[in-house]
Amino acid sequence: MSKSPIHPVSSLDRQSELENSPAQLISLDRVSFGYSHKRLVLQDLDLEIKQGEFLTLLGPSGCGKSTILNLIAGFYKPLLGRVTHGGEDIKGPSARRGVVFQSNALFDWMTVEQNVGFGFRFQAVSKHERKKRVETIIALVGLRGNERKYPYQLSGGMRQRVAVARSMVVQPEILLMDEPFAAVDVQTREGLQEELLKLHEQVSGAILFVTHSIEEAVFLSDRIVILDRNLGGIAHDIKIHLPEPRYTAMNRVSDAFNQYRTDLYLKMKAIE
Amino acid sequence: MQLKMSKSSDKMTAFEGQDLQTQALREKAMLFCVAIAIPSLILILWEMTTRMGWVDELFLPSLSGIVNEFFAMTRKGYAGTPLLSHVLGSLRRVFTAFTVGTLVGLLLGLLMGYYKYVRAAFYVVTELLRPIPPLAFITLFILWFGIGEVSKVLIILYAGALIVMLNTMAGVQSCPKDKILAAQTLGANDLAIFLYVILPAALPSIFTGMRVALSVDFGILVAAELLAGDLGIGYIIQDASTFFNVEGLFVGILMIGFFGVMSDFLLRIIASRVVHWQG
Ligand SMILES: Nc1ncnc2c1ncn2[C@@H]1O[C@H](COP(=O)(O)OP(=O)(O)OP(=O)(O)O)[C@@H](O)[C@H]1O
Ligand SMILES: [Mg+2]
Repeated sequence: MSKSPIHPVSSLDRQSELENSPAQLISLDRVSFGYSHKRLVLQDLDLEIKQGEFLTLLGPSGCGKSTILNLIAGFYKPLLGRVTHGGEDIKGPSARRGVVFQSNALFDWMTVEQNVGFGFRFQAVSKHERKKRVETIIALVGLRGNERKYPYQLSGGMRQRVAVARSMVVQPEILLMDEPFAAVDVQTREGLQEELLKLHEQVSGAILFVTHSIEEAVFLSDRIVILDRNLGGIAHDIKIHLPEPRYTAMNRVSDAFNQYRTDLYLKMKAIE
Repeated sequence: MQLKMSKSSDKMTAFEGQDLQTQALREKAMLFCVAIAIPSLILILWEMTTRMGWVDELFLPSLSGIVNEFFAMTRKGYAGTPLLSHVLGSLRRVFTAFTVGTLVGLLLGLLMGYYKYVRAAFYVVTELLRPIPPLAFITLFILWFGIGEVSKVLIILYAGALIVMLNTMAGVQSCPKDKILAAQTLGANDLAIFLYVILPAALPSIFTGMRVALSVDFGILVAAELLAGDLGIGYIIQDASTFFNVEGLFVGILMIGFFGVMSDFLLRIIASRVVHWQG
């Protein structure tokens, strides 16, 4: 799979690659769930995420996007149905499934370096390798020179970068991101999106992303799932074909991009 | 054109930055002066009132009288015991009780904050004890543990431990859920989460508890020494008032204040070193 920036590979290659890869990473099989027994939040939901796929969930507020993430992360268990990872039931949180919280959830008492390296404490990785990988990812998210700083000394965008780096550096098979960039300004947000795409290219895991921004969804995703309100389940499941590499500015203004945006906008309006 | 504009505006902000800095410094100096001026004024007024004979020396001794009394005490001791022994006696009681009390409170607080069942087990007892002023137990402690060191140290220890325990428990429970979940998804087990996440998150509360406990401990110390014994700053206060030695009484009061302030200052420095991440 070549990804030379000079000769953009058609996205069809990436899509057909995902298409041909049979490997389901995460699968929700007729899942029903409610935080209490009085009210269901999800009913008979089926959803599959493939290895390496970038999938985004869109949908009206309260339709259960965060709930789906919580179930896959292992923070909750389904009332009915199965949530599996590589064919095995998800029993609880695991380092194989990373999570980036909207609140960034950084450890305020640790430096940037220590935050990013935290996951390695629980892995059999040599000190040297650890240091190298932490350094590399800190450079990748553009935080070089800030290694010894504490979270309170960083801006909101920088903190979110640390959170993404912290989750990605241990190479989870899937990264769950719940509106991770909602709290930063537009410019920072675009930078973060581009970095995320680059990281996704380097680190091979899948990403399940939640956002309210249609533009963000189109720009980032291989596939977008729109959830219906009121236990309606999946309303639309759309594949996004945009030229590689995805993180070019062109991909924010191209006709193809605008078409997806319009289409998704109308679909979302129809639900609301 | 674009470049030029941005350059000059950069200079402006750098200049303004310096200006702001000197302004901030000036304000700091002013605040410091005010903070020093007012107490100095009070001391001058105090000395004047007593010099002019506006109030009876029996109610308010002169500053110089107090200072003289202090130096007399350092030379002759008080009630046949060197002043240093009184001071060290008091400090030893407070610091023994504070140290052990903090350790006990910390341990119980951590367990109660972390384990629901430990919390449930201690819930009724702590809720009952919490509103009772520790001094209410003092005669009971004397009855149980005798009139000597043990009951004094124990009552101080109890008062401090209760405060540290409650604050530690609150600190543990205040740990943001998402930080714990984040640690879990990075592979941390329960012990690691406790050590690297819950404990550091609780440290600010723990230090707040320790500072409150220390000031309460000084209060209980004086009360305990007033009640019994013949050693300590509280004893000096009690004995001096029995003999209408108002200067001696003030020496005792001021010494308690001095050591209270100094130890809190020390604890605050330690706290800011340990809890350095709050900016
Ligand atoms: N911890 C919880 N306890 C009880 N109910 C909850 C909890 N979290 C969410 N809910 C409820 O479950 C439903 C789905 O919530 P969820 O957070 O998954 O929605 P969402 O799609 O992420 O919404 P948003 O876009 O606003 O973030 C909502 O009705 C919400 O009130
Ligand atoms: Mg949500």
